[in-house]
Amino acid sequence: MSIVLKNVTKRYDQQIVVHNVSLEIADGEFFVLLGSSGSGKTTVLNMIAGLTSADRGQIQLHSRDVTNLPTQKRNVGFVFQNYALFEYMTVAENIEFGLSVRKVSRKARQLKRDEMLELVGLVGLGDRTPHQLSGGQQQRVALARALALEPDVLLLDEPLGALDAKIRGDLRRSLKAIQRQLGVAAILVTHDQEEAFDLADRIGVMSYGRLVEVGSPRDLYHHPQTEFVASFLGTANILLGQTQGNQIRIGPHKFDLSTEAARFSGDGRVQVVFRPEDLLLARGKAALDCTPLGEGVVTNLGFNGPNERIRLELPAIPGVRAIAPTVPFGKQNIVIEASRSTDHAAALPLSVGEKAWVGIQRLHTLSHPGLSFLVVTDGSLRSQSAISLGGYLARMAHARIILLGIGDDEQLQDARKQIGSGMASVELHTDGGPAHFAIARSVEKNPVDLVIVGWRPLEGLGFAEQILQSGDHHLLLAAHPGTRLENALVCASSGEPGKDDVMFAGRLLRHLGAQATLLTAIENNNDRQSRLAESFMDGGKHSLEMFGVPTQNKLRIGEPEVEIVKEMRSGKYDLMVLGTPLPNRDGRISMTGLVNSVIKNTDNCSLLLVRSHYHKNQFTLN
Amino acid sequence: MNTLTAKTQAVIRRRSPLPWRHWGIRTIAISYLVVMLIIPLLVILQDGLREGLGELWRQVTLPIAWHALKLTLWTSAVMMLINTIMGTLTAFILVRYDFPGKSFLNAVIDLPLAIPTLVTGVMLVILLGPQQAIGAWLKETFHFSIIFAPPGIILALLYLTFPFVVRSVQPVLLELDLAQEHAAATLGAGGWTIFRRIILPPLTLPILTGALLSFARAIGEFGSIVIVAGNIPLYSQTAAVYVFGEVESENRLGASAVSVVMVTIAFGLMMFANYLRNRSRFGFRKENE
Repeated sequence: MSIVLKNVTKRYDQQIVVHNVSLEIADGEFFVLLGSSGSGKTTVLNMIAGLTSADRGQIQLHSRDVTNLPTQKRNVGFVFQNYALFEYMTVAENIEFGLSVRKVSRKARQLKRDEMLELVGLVGLGDRTPHQLSGGQQQRVALARALALEPDVLLLDEPLGALDAKIRGDLRRSLKAIQRQLGVAAILVTHDQEEAFDLADRIGVMSYGRLVEVGSPRDLYHHPQTEFVASFLGTANILLGQTQGNQIRIGPHKFDLSTEAARFSGDGRVQVVFRPEDLLLARGKAALDCTPLGEGVVTNLGFNGPNERIRLELPAIPGVRAIAPTVPFGKQNIVIEASRSTDHAAALPLSVGEKAWVGIQRLHTLSHPGLSFLVVTDGSLRSQSAISLGGYLARMAHARIILLGIGDDEQLQDARKQIGSGMASVELHTDGGPAHFAIARSVEKNPVDLVIVGWRPLEGLGFAEQILQSGDHHLLLAAHPGTRLENALVCASSGEPGKDDVMFAGRLLRHLGAQATLLTAIENNNDRQSRLAESFMDGGKHSLEMFGVPTQNKLRIGEPEVEIVKEMRSGKYDLMVLGTPLPNRDGRISMTGLVNSVIKNTDNCSLLLVRSHYHKNQFTLN
Repeated sequence: MNTLTAKTQAVIRRRSPLPWRHWGIRTIAISYLVVMLIIPLLVILQDGLREGLGELWRQVTLPIAWHALKLTLWTSAVMMLINTIMGTLTAFILVRYDFPGKSFLNAVIDLPLAIPTLVTGVMLVILLGPQQAIGAWLKETFHFSIIFAPPGIILALLYLTFPFVVRSVQPVLLELDLAQEHAAATLGAGGWTIFRRIILPPLTLPILTGALLSFARAIGEFGSIVIVAGNIPLYSQTAAVYVFGEVESENRLGASAVSVVMVTIAFGLMMFANYLRNRSRFGFRKENE
């Protein structure tokens, strides 16, 4: 491996900019870090070069731990976006700089310099000064300068960003050819998708400091694992369907399931992705030679050279929810983006307002389904905790948010401003109190994974019981304003559920770069009990780590209520994950037992109550 | 981006929309300049050369006058050297580092320009005079006096000219591209090499300009030195104080002669500094933009 990053994390003034990034780059590989601005990709590059220090984690170059080495000793070649040529030196002096620092003889320097000038196609320009060169030529000089020292790895920070389109294309081809010729491992940072597809052996997609997915361009485009990547790369239609055995159901239509999507979701819901080019259009249902989705009305037509883009609106399909492209809150229609070649367009001309049948040729399911949150605000002080924590979670998890305002519209607008941007979508919704009725009405129309409300431990759990009874969601009681969740205590002892606590906590924590402590308390230390507890915890640890959450196990012996509180006080936990007790026969959920006595003794710690699905789900922990 | 566009832009300059290009206003401005600046200079030149170049030379080479001129030049030179190093360092710290009180320090740097120079002299005497703690201790322990001796002159000059180098280096330093330093670091260059080969070249001109200006300013300094130096002829009397003495004793020719030399030196330095500054402004850095 040329470059290895292990759990690298970086903060600037409390703000996490790189979040637990782990990455391995093979010798000779061309790796592209793709992300929008502010996603932390340049910081990753700077940390590899040592221009920024890593707060946590390890960086290895060719099996050499360089985490604490200064830049000078890392032997990396770096190319900057604005070229960063030494203005007071000629082109030749620029290229020779590194060699002269290393006291290489003049003769050897000149040889290397000529070799480099030839490599980048600038023979004869050695005596020029940088300002006498065009932008493209300057960047070639910067590349030659970085390569003259025969670096272990080549780091390129948006090297083509400042150039115009034609030069960019030329330089892109040269860059790839030179990298291949020298066989040096390279990381290129860019926000340009086309550039990434063109250059990369593998692409890593970054968002809010996290490395969301890594894969070959083909894989990421055709088989994305997350909703973020599916919608970030190209155009994606995403629907929420159901799994049924080895099939996926979208309304009445069944498709064969190719990926192991159910593994992570547990509740049978699954996100289905298909690209515009995966669709076929026809006049009648019979004319489609693939599974039909429905008949839609053309609402928009566009032309981009080789293709025609068509937007269609389909009537609601029972049990199916459109995720992307988005539809307005409360509407059940499904909007689909399709594209077809001009040949197809000529064979079946369509215009706005006409009807056409839509069929799906290919689809793909997301193995990490997107999350949806309901954040509840009533304008009170404790709602602030829900807004700030909910916004942060949604941004990190790229979740969709429904912001439910209880009472007047004005405070809802304030909350909208505070919650910021960066999540998959934000919908606003106002309703009258009392809160738990409003929540029940909202989740009936739009079910969510998690309800987030502000909460003070003093208030007790009556409110929480009511919210949990109103639907099929988990519940986060946000106890502190601010945006840090780093240490979660997952209590796996609270009775039956266990596995679900762990799975949902994993889905959430993986986005936060948080660590988890898995705690089990057993009452007496006999062999059988402790063996059971240990094997249970190993399973839990395994599944949390499958989500990329660093986990440690703790076994305590004694009364669970007492031991959980002790553990809570001994560590710096900011989130406690507990299983919700199963409902009574009358459907009521009562939290008078363990949960209640635990939370009385915790202050300033948010509480995630995970609902058990164990009675109806079929997955097992491996 | 390239040379051509920069030049073309310079040629096709848009007309000023203000009416100030008219002759009347130009005449007023130029006349003012002539009356206020040029005529007094010409008068002193004419006065100094009244008895011919030989007489001027004789007046200047009188032992006391000659010593005063030499003292002025060497104390100014020492000041310039220290000021160049410390001024560059100060500018560097102000631009590159954050520390408590930074903005206060930044504001205080210009203070010497506002404080009456006489007050500067008084401050130094109070601080370091032979009757004061520090001065007395230095005198007793090292037989070294600052006040009423050449070191006092240098101190006073340093105080007065503190802003010059700092203020001419600071803006250039602010504009430097950090990426170049990072690039040098990735190429293996250590801190000192980066400073010498990457940071220093663009700073050379501003440092030099600042140093020359501070020198020119120092040559004519009177107010603080008259308090600090003790003004002992052939020991601690500078040219400016000498001129004052000659005016007092009604030796106008002596006063004018030394004045002419001082004006010539100062004028020459100013012209040179100006030339350097223009070079840095319209030199190759400019074409780059």
